[in-house]
Amino acid sequence: MSEEILSIKNLTVDFGGVRAVNDVSLSLRKGEFIGLIGPNGAGKTTIFNLITNAFQPTSGEIIFKGQSILGKSPDQICRLGISRTFQNIRLFPQMTAYENVELGLHSTPRYSLAEAFIRTPRAARIEAETRKRAHELLEMVNLSQHANARASSLPYGLQRRLELARAMATSPELLLLDEPAAGMNEDECKELVQLIRQIHNTMGYTMIMIEHHMNVVMDLCRDSLIYVLNLGSLLAVGSPAEIQNNPDVIRAYLGERKNGRDNAHA
Amino acid sequence: MELFIQQLVSGISIGAIYSLLAVGYALVYSVYNFTNWAFDAFMAFGAFIAFTSISSLFLPFWAAGAISIVLTIILAVSAEKLAYSPLRARKAPRLFMMISAMGVNLAIVNIINLIYGGTFRKFPVDALQPIFIGNVSIGRTDLVAGGISFVVLALLWAFLYRTRWGLGVRASSIDILTASLMGINNNGVAIVVFTLTGILSSVAGIFYGIKYAVYPMMGMVTIKAMIASIVGGLGSLPAAIVGSMILGILETMVSGYISSTYRDLFSFLFLIVILLFFPNGLMGKSVEEKL
Repeated sequence: MSEEILSIKNLTVDFGGVRAVNDVSLSLRKGEFIGLIGPNGAGKTTIFNLITNAFQPTSGEIIFKGQSILGKSPDQICRLGISRTFQNIRLFPQMTAYENVELGLHSTPRYSLAEAFIRTPRAARIEAETRKRAHELLEMVNLSQHANARASSLPYGLQRRLELARAMATSPELLLLDEPAAGMNEDECKELVQLIRQIHNTMGYTMIMIEHHMNVVMDLCRDSLIYVLNLGSLLAVGSPAEIQNNPDVIRAYLGERKNGRDNAHA
Repeated sequence: MELFIQQLVSGISIGAIYSLLAVGYALVYSVYNFTNWAFDAFMAFGAFIAFTSISSLFLPFWAAGAISIVLTIILAVSAEKLAYSPLRARKAPRLFMMISAMGVNLAIVNIINLIYGGTFRKFPVDALQPIFIGNVSIGRTDLVAGGISFVVLALLWAFLYRTRWGLGVRASSIDILTASLMGINNNGVAIVVFTLTGILSSVAGIFYGIKYAVYPMMGMVTIKAMIASIVGGLGSLPAAIVGSMILGILETMVSGYISSTYRDLFSFLFLIVILLFFPNGLMGKSVEEKL
């Protein structure tokens, strides 16, 4: 259980003159669940974008399952076993809920186009399996009755769940959740915490969650670590209790950002 | 009445050819957001390959068609690999993609011109005897051209909506980056899209060549496909087909009842009138549904 699955080493990225991520290192064991928090603009989503290679880091290394994934295309990274959800929902709005999930299931080609058109038994069987799997995933996030609804017609909370199902469809080993509770009320947050915990327990994914709702973070990370990012740098790492009592973290969140660390305890 | 039915059948047939062209544009536009100006060169290329296969190699029509489709696919995919894909990899603005496409177009059309010269040639198939139903004569060429075009469109629809490759293309047309994050190989999608483009342009080129003539600038007709897409509603495949049908029928009616001289005048007037009353085209809501 304790083998390292993801290791980020001295990751730095500059956008023009702005250092968005500054010398961040972190490592994750298989099956671990960590929280990634920090004020707006701290570089949290940028780290996700670097892991899925939306852009290249200025320096540093990202090792996934023992190999460097820098320079691999997003679809290669997906097939290696990394999937994500988005801060701003990025479903395929014109497609049905089912099609959104089905798309993720097709990431590994298993039969040829000719087989599909002739409908060989093998292609038919794989398609039946795909259908079954898609419905299982929709069931898992409680969307079975909305399978044929357009993604855009679903209420906001359900769209978030659908994004989770789609991310799971690619059979990831590492699942990146970017503010899954954004825009949700207390009750919805509670349901979401349950759902994410259930996914983590049953699927065995390694997960990183970016989140601003502190209740959600503290609850889901109660047995694990929270990483705090501020102005692109790692500010603190610790259990929820440690993080809540860390003066640097409190200062960063209260807004005294620029010189926060220079005169700590001042 | 006879004339009306004859012109209607002919109009549906030419509308079907316009549909192939309009759909070919819409496919590339919906995924890559640029107008593939090279498309009309692909069409002329496809027609000339079929022309040469029959007139010089004396192949039967179906074999010439097959060779034309295969070679046009290779041409379209090569254009993507050599002219478009490198620009995309460097994140070039879409205007540059369009200019690159114009370059591909000029190159191909001029090469054809060098080899064959600019003259109009008759497509070397024997004229099929029209079928008579009462006094109505219906061109068999129209039936074949229209019929095969519709079969190609139906196969395309089945591919897009009934296979996982189609699902990947549709997802890429909505959001290409998210699609790739979900495991869709962008290069694979590009090959699929340009393969479809090759098929559509080759079939359209052959039938257009049979109906009218084969010449290097024959791709100019794709302007009609653009009008058809705009009339139908930009960016949607069903709308492109509806627009093509309306335009095809309008043109043959004008040719039949007024004069073929005024055909194109009416096409463009029609476009202006439609845009005055339906600024988004007849079926255009917004550019929501792209495929």
